[in-house]
Amino acid sequence: MNEPATFQLPEQMSTVASEVDWLYYFIYWLSVVLFVAIVGAMVYWAIKYRERPGHKAEPTGHNVPLELAWTVAPLFILAFLFHKGFEGYMDMSVAPANAMEIHVNAKQWGWEFVYPNGGSDNELHVPVHQPVKLIMSSTDVIHSLFVPALRIKRDIVPGVYTSQWFEATHIGSDDIACAEYCGGRSKDANGDELPFAQMTGHWSMHSMLHVVSEEDFKKYLIGIGDKCAAYTLKNQACPDSIVVGEGQKLYSKKACVGCHTVTGAKLVGPSWKGIWGKEESTDHGPVKVDEAYIRESILDPQAKVVSGFPPAMPPFRGQITDQEIDEIVAYIKSLKD
Amino acid sequence: MANVSESIETRGGEHGHGHDDHAHAHPDFLQHHFDTPAQQFDAAKLGMWVFIATEILMFGGLFCAYAIWRGLEPDIFDQAHHFLNKILGATNTVVLLFSSLTAALAVRAAQSGKRNLTSVYLVVTIVCACVFLAIKYFEYSHKFHLGLLPGHCFGHPGLSGAIQNGQEIGTCLRVHADATPVMPEWVKAVDESGHMQVLPPRANMFFGLYFVMTGLHGLHVIIGMSILVWVLVKNLRGQFSPQFFTPVDLGALYWHLVDLVWIYLFPLLYLVGKPE
Amino acid sequence: MAAVDIPLIGGHEADSHGDPHANYLKAKRGIGSWMLTVDHKRIGLMYLTMVSLAFLVGGIFALLMRIELFTRGKTIVDAETYNRFFTLHGAVMVFLFIIPSVPAALGNFFLPIMIGAKDVAFPKLNLLSFYIYLVGVAIILTSIILGSVDTGWTFYTPYSVQTANSVISMTAGVFVLGFSSILTGLNFLVTVHTMRAPGITWTRLPLFVWGMYATALIQVLATPVLAITLLLLITERFLGIGIFDPKLGGDPVLFQHFFWFYSHPAVYIMIVPGMAINSELIATFSRRAIFGAFAVAMSSIGLAILGFLVWGHHLFVAGMSEFATMLFSALTFLVAIPSGVKIFNWTATIYKGSIVWASPMLYAMAFIFLFTIGGLTGLFLGTLSVDVHLTDTYFVVAHFHYVMMGGTVIAFLGGLLYWWPKMTGKMHDEKKAKIGFVLVFIGFNTVFIPQFIMGSRGMPRRYYDYLPQFEPFHKASTIGSWILAAGLFLTAYTLLEALWKGKTAPRNPWGSAGYEWATDTPPCVANFHTTPTIKRGPYDYHLATPEELATGWDEVESAHGTKPGASSSAKKA
Ligand code: HEA
Ligand code: HEA
Ligand code: HEC
Ligand code: CUA
Ligand SMILES: [Cu+2]
Repeated sequence: MNEPATFQLPEQMSTVASEVDWLYYFIYWLSVVLFVAIVGAMVYWAIKYRERPGHKAEPTGHNVPLELAWTVAPLFILAFLFHKGFEGYMDMSVAPANAMEIHVNAKQWGWEFVYPNGGSDNELHVPVHQPVKLIMSSTDVIHSLFVPALRIKRDIVPGVYTSQWFEATHIGSDDIACAEYCGGRSKDANGDELPFAQMTGHWSMHSMLHVVSEEDFKKYLIGIGDKCAAYTLKNQACPDSIVVGEGQKLYSKKACVGCHTVTGAKLVGPSWKGIWGKEESTDHGPVKVDEAYIRESILDPQAKVVSGFPPAMPPFRGQITDQEIDEIVAYIKSLKD
Repeated sequence: MANVSESIETRGGEHGHGHDDHAHAHPDFLQHHFDTPAQQFDAAKLGMWVFIATEILMFGGLFCAYAIWRGLEPDIFDQAHHFLNKILGATNTVVLLFSSLTAALAVRAAQSGKRNLTSVYLVVTIVCACVFLAIKYFEYSHKFHLGLLPGHCFGHPGLSGAIQNGQEIGTCLRVHADATPVMPEWVKAVDESGHMQVLPPRANMFFGLYFVMTGLHGLHVIIGMSILVWVLVKNLRGQFSPQFFTPVDLGALYWHLVDLVWIYLFPLLYLVGKPE
Repeated sequence: MAAVDIPLIGGHEADSHGDPHANYLKAKRGIGSWMLTVDHKRIGLMYLTMVSLAFLVGGIFALLMRIELFTRGKTIVDAETYNRFFTLHGAVMVFLFIIPSVPAALGNFFLPIMIGAKDVAFPKLNLLSFYIYLVGVAIILTSIILGSVDTGWTFYTPYSVQTANSVISMTAGVFVLGFSSILTGLNFLVTVHTMRAPGITWTRLPLFVWGMYATALIQVLATPVLAITLLLLITERFLGIGIFDPKLGGDPVLFQHFFWFYSHPAVYIMIVPGMAINSELIATFSRRAIFGAFAVAMSSIGLAILGFLVWGHHLFVAGMSEFATMLFSALTFLVAIPSGVKIFNWTATIYKGSIVWASPMLYAMAFIFLFTIGGLTGLFLGTLSVDVHLTDTYFVVAHFHYVMMGGTVIAFLGGLLYWWPKMTGKMHDEKKAKIGFVLVFIGFNTVFIPQFIMGSRGMPRRYYDYLPQFEPFHKASTIGSWILAAGLFLTAYTLLEALWKGKTAPRNPWGSAGYEWATDTPPCVANFHTTPTIKRGPYDYHLATPEELATGWDEVESAHGTKPGASSSAKKA
């Protein structure tokens, strides 16, 4: 958690922040002045001219100049606000050409950040002093990526790509939140209430932004890069231990964890514990949980829906590579018994 | 009290009057809360105009949706509109225009106190409305038959459900959200100009608009009809006179609106071509 | 009368309300006489009861939300229930309470009296609109029972299409309510145009009536679009037409445009009546005509028109073209002008007036205080780059509570206290009313000031749980809500108590020059015993004589001890 830069606004971590804050405080003080003037006058006069014996109200006169003044004067203030606001907005909208592109997949209820090297993570790491352009898409409903310290926010609308950019000004971390209501779940498949820790929803789409040095970022990229990739290049078999490890990483990175446990507890979806090889009863009759079925369940979950569960799983077609699927399969395999 | 009576001066004599002379002041078509027939007429007329304004705004919303979609899918609109029967559409247009005329004539007749003539014109108008609805019924049922339906139901003749391994499941209507949605299918059928056409599932949008727009209009036809029937009854009861025929007047006014909306719907839906 | 009762013209029904000279409350008795009444005053009271209940219900949801947010993690309810709470809170407060509140309750009661008419132009339509309202309420209640709705009051697609809740019935309910609102608006427009008594020229129209007129314009022009939007949403959900559903090639943002095209004008349906009441209160309790009354009247119309051009300011981060964004931001600022004009003119009216610190005046001043805050914070939101940071945070939540609760609701309470004697014939206990006011004022600010701060610090709205750094603010806010509730319950009690304990109200207890005070208290069925001819403006305190201010100028007899209602016989003698 960061100490706010000021009482009203959080720490400034982007190039646009100072500009935004300046304007915020300008409007703030403008408002304070207007407010004090108006309410001050009102209260003062209300007391000064309070009703009392011998005091009589003066008939209301006219004062056209005065009226025109307070109708027109504000126009200038407002024009100024508009101008400044629009300026700032344009700065936020047009990303510099040299911006590094990071893809953001938002889904109920988690984030996935996909880096230029194909590696992905559910937290956002960026190098300092480097313009970053977030290219964002959603598979289910509208979300909105909000980073208070960067003063940026943009809705992520299913069906289209939206984007926003920023340049971090110094090393540090801050919260990432979802700012467009996207529902929530606090009951398991049988309608029983889950413990708070397992409730998920709009509010729980929390993630972290980590602004790191150039070098640390390079290291990080290697870290998240797919360990098996190396082997596949040399077309050698990737050791199971690693594959399973990768699968386990994907389990949280791809936000499966939001709906599936590996402990046997039901969430939105069935637990993965011990499903490998077992007969699932689905709406298309019983099926054996094997490679093919799992692949199908991931790419096109609605094809066969496990009985007793809602068809709530988002299809992952296009967002998950074959290799990743193999890794998840390996992981699920490792969970049998 | 001098200055008091300065501020207020009572109409019709110094002293307030009881209801007895209320009655004198009021011919019996005049509601008690109006002072004069003129006032009552103005109120009714203005009321109807405002109401018509709201109606137009309501359809306006739909026309916007139409514009936006057409922009998105000009080709589909072009392709799909061939499935609307221009002949029937045109017939209905004529029918409505004619009914508008008779409605207007009904007003003239009422104005000049020709009570029976008024009834005749009203009846003709109502009959036209029925004809319109009948024709619409045939158009609709043909679309149901071909499965040219909105949304999921597109390509599901008669609201049938999806066919999965042999047997049909449910209907295409999504009754509650978590029911596995049936997906729109391709439609291969002969259009009104005799060509065999294949419509992509996306074409459901056009028919969605078609049904919502003509459906809402149809509802207005029914409302308009009921109003006219009500007016007819009052006329037969002889409640109108050259001094008082407001209901006839406003009933006709409303009917013109119903007509007007259709005048726009017909070309937009039946005659759209692809913008060059 | 025929069954299809389009009240273009009713039958001849002069005595349906009983003796036009009798006290409207006593003229006829029994449930039936209320259920079937076409008297705008009784319909107004029935609306008042319903909206007050709605306010209570909405408020209870609010209190539950606040309790849930009192601590982090789960406090009383689970996440899904919380989501339903804020949706229902929003929907009930907006559609069942605040939109009908002032126009349908107080407007219905006073608009005809203030223009010297016997009733609204279409009394039966008026009753019809009340029953349509009831039907709407019923549908919404059933939807709540059918598992309720968790979409937020904005019903954004595609979530509202996918969620497994009873969205259809809820939207259907709102759809129906829309028609009730349209009919009220239509009735008012026609009434103001055609029913004014001789001498009530447009320039002598009370500002309350001007406000109602402007509101009616918006109701009539904007609500149909909401109707069609909801209709499309319903078909969308039922048939999946795909206008709004990206899965079917539709555009979710299109829904937002449709929705706000109604709902922004709707916020002026909410505030303009509040301002209308405020103008009456300020004038009466300053014993002085509103400064620049004409400008104030016109600014209401101005708001009504400008209100239609700014809906896009709710979509600044939703993905609009830069050009649209710029346009909407620019137009949004223009709205500040007419609102400003009102604020300034009210303040100028107090200057050199003779200010009576009665409870309604306290609310009037609170309105200026709170609405200025609410409005000025609107400017933060209208400013593009700043809105990007603030949108969908508690800053927005605080903004609209300051304008809706701090504006409209405060004015509504002020208006209730002000007109209560005229409506019921009973005086309330000023002392209690003032204590209630202080609690409401303090409580309200304690609830929402912290929300501004946590909002600008980055607390998003519609959150079931929050990060530790926001805890103190949420705690303060929740405690405030209890003070506020206490104040409101006390106020409600004060009003109800007056009904049985209150002493009989004189004809013009506040010494107002407004037309509505010129008739019996409570008014007779026909509002005035004879159609009045007005010779002076509603705020011409310098023309009004002491007798008038003490007794009104319809009849003098009733002022000298004779009971209201008996006046007519006194006259015939
Ligand atoms: C009664 C209802 C009401 C009223 C009157 C207003 C009034 C205004 N509102 Fe508000 N608004 C809402 C109800 C209302 N609003 C609601 C319900 C929402 C959120 C909906 C949701 O998302 O759930 C909202 C949201 C909202 C947003 C979107 C925020 C977001 O989601 O990102 C914006 C953005 O521009 C905005 C702006 C304004 C402005 C500029 C005014 C102006 O009309 C204010 C004008 C008044 C003043 C400015 C103060 C007095 C003037 C002076 C003292 C003159 C001198 C001042 C100057 C010249 C600077 N409002
Ligand atoms: C008129 C509109 C209105 C009013 C008055 C209120 C009143 C209140 N609102 Fe709310 N509110 C909204 C409209 C309104 N609200 C809307 C539209 C939203 C957005 C919803 C969404 O996000 O979808 C919202 C959201 C909202 C939130 C944000 C929820 C979230 O984003 O997670 C919160 C949180 O604190 C809140 C709190 C309150 C509180 C404490 C009150 C208190 O002021 C309530 C006090 C009232 C009472 C305690 C009842 C007492 C009443 C009586 C005793 C009846 C007597 C009658 C008479 C005296 C006539 N409201
Ligand atoms: C939004 C909730 C959600 C998310 C996120 C989710 N699932 Fe699921 N999943 C479900 C539900 C609900 C079912 C049961 C219904 C069905 O089969 O479609 C399910 C079923 C499955 C099944 C079949 C299980 C069985 O018992 O037959 C597999 C395998 C699976 N999911 C894998 C995944 C993987 C891998 C991911 C992440 C890449 C994932 N899921 C993410 C909700 C989710
Ligand atoms: Cu995702 Cu809110
Ligand atoms: Cu707005």
